[in-house]
Amino acid sequence: MSKHATLVFSRHGESEWNVANIFTGWVDVDLSEKGLGEAKGAGELLKAEGLEIDVAYTSFLKRAIKTCNLALEAADQYYVPVNKTWRLNERMYGGLTGLDKKETVKKHGADQVQIWRRSFDIPPPALEKENKYHPCHEAKYADLDPKDLPDTECLKDTIARVMPYWEETIAPALKAGKTVFVAAHGNSIRAIVKMIEGLSDDVIPGLEIPTGTPLVYELDKDLKPLPTSLAVEPLKFGRYLGDAEKIRAAAEAVKNQTKVG
Amino acid sequence: MALGKAPPAPGETGLGVTALDVSTLETYGTHTLVLLRHGESEWNLENRFTGWVDVDVSEKGAQEAINAGRLMHEANISLDIAFTSYQKRAIKTLNLALEELDALWIPVTKSWKLNERMYGDLQGLNKAETTQKFGDEQVTKWRRSYAVPPPPIKDDNPYHPKLDPKYKNIPKKQLPLSESLATTIDRVLPFFRQTIAPQLRKGKKVLIAAHGNSLRALVKILDNVPEDKIVGLNIPTGVPLVYRLNRNLKPVELPGHAELISGAYLGDPEWVQAKISGVKNQAKAR
Repeated sequence: MSKHATLVFSRHGESEWNVANIFTGWVDVDLSEKGLGEAKGAGELLKAEGLEIDVAYTSFLKRAIKTCNLALEAADQYYVPVNKTWRLNERMYGGLTGLDKKETVKKHGADQVQIWRRSFDIPPPALEKENKYHPCHEAKYADLDPKDLPDTECLKDTIARVMPYWEETIAPALKAGKTVFVAAHGNSIRAIVKMIEGLSDDVIPGLEIPTGTPLVYELDKDLKPLPTSLAVEPLKFGRYLGDAEKIRAAAEAVKNQTKVG
Repeated sequence: MALGKAPPAPGETGLGVTALDVSTLETYGTHTLVLLRHGESEWNLENRFTGWVDVDVSEKGAQEAINAGRLMHEANISLDIAFTSYQKRAIKTLNLALEELDALWIPVTKSWKLNERMYGDLQGLNKAETTQKFGDEQVTKWRRSYAVPPPPIKDDNPYHPKLDPKYKNIPKKQLPLSESLATTIDRVLPFFRQTIAPQLRKGKKVLIAAHGNSLRALVKILDNVPEDKIVGLNIPTGVPLVYRLNRNLKPVELPGHAELISGAYLGDPEWVQAKISGVKNQAKAR
């Protein structure tokens, strides 16, 4: 088993709605100042690690695209081709889109919100098409097959629309031995990591992926991941670049976004 | 919005005077092609020959890019696909402009074929010093002749492209050691035909964010500008140049089109004219 290709994930950093603690999903909010810094930091870590990216993939959402661009720029690799796809978008949050996280907990109870946030196959209620946040109003989704345009998604749904892109586009690049950078979102990254790590349906929703911290996989020619002693539970194959303590703290912080009081 | 920056003085942006709108434009020809030259770079500030050296845009250059996005937004231009070079001053210009247009999601293709003209051994040299060293006439010939390239870059020059990882996949014989406008066109034209033209034919609205000479190449290709005229054609920075092409990808002359070309610049016409006349006196030794 020897390294044939490298796959690097970076989850975008803090967005304007992370700051405001609002469920975001497909709403195209920008990065906060901090998030911009996290993107640059991710790129500096790529550079320090000596990673030479051949191709990058990102979503249609600017918080991921800007993370991608800023990270590549900081890594002195701004010229790398970047492919954008709606299939790497964040999970579409249905009727919770635009709602304050703690308010939603007060209204529906922590347990219900926890189910909507972290269940594998229970989606939030559908978002009505008349809602200003529905993607049907956006030019960026005009070319989508209407049946692909979600009103809501659970993690299972997200995985189902991410994986075709993995199979048709990302995996072939890795098979060709490329070093691939995927700048995306918590749930679209979970989709691919689940498959690589062989994580079960009940473990994956709880996997916290710290923002701005590149997650590196080395793959053999069959795209099986090489194990590493640097992996952090529950991962066996992926290692984070950067400060280990900071990584643990960042994962905790994401968990606490719905803690009331 | 930029934090803590004073808004530009009126008349500095060209905004607010929509001479052209997409509704007017669409009555001419079939296809939309927008050309955008990147703004001021760090080496423009230092008055150094740049070529393939990968310098960044200055603060002002970044503002020019944002302004270009606003100009396109004002004209209700929408875009489907963009092309740019391997050089960060163009890529950044593109990304900043697309962000203003809320179009960061459109596909972007980067190619060295859209790079600035490669300036050989002059790359890195200060323009005034070079003029003092070689004389005004020689430098003018290198800058503004059609087919005379600057001296080829020397093997030990720190700005040699073989040292730049972005060009590691280019076959050695394709890697230029120096270019004239003629040889720049030689590598822009096939790229336009093979990669850009098919997108236009599919009905895609195309933006090309590039450099003075790679854009001169495109304008010459589109409008068949004569050799002696193209060398002196100033394409102002940060001003979107809109072309409408017919089904055969021949440009249709637009109202308010610039001199010698069919395309028209967006923004206040007075502001545009001032910008066109603005590129001068960089090599005049002090």
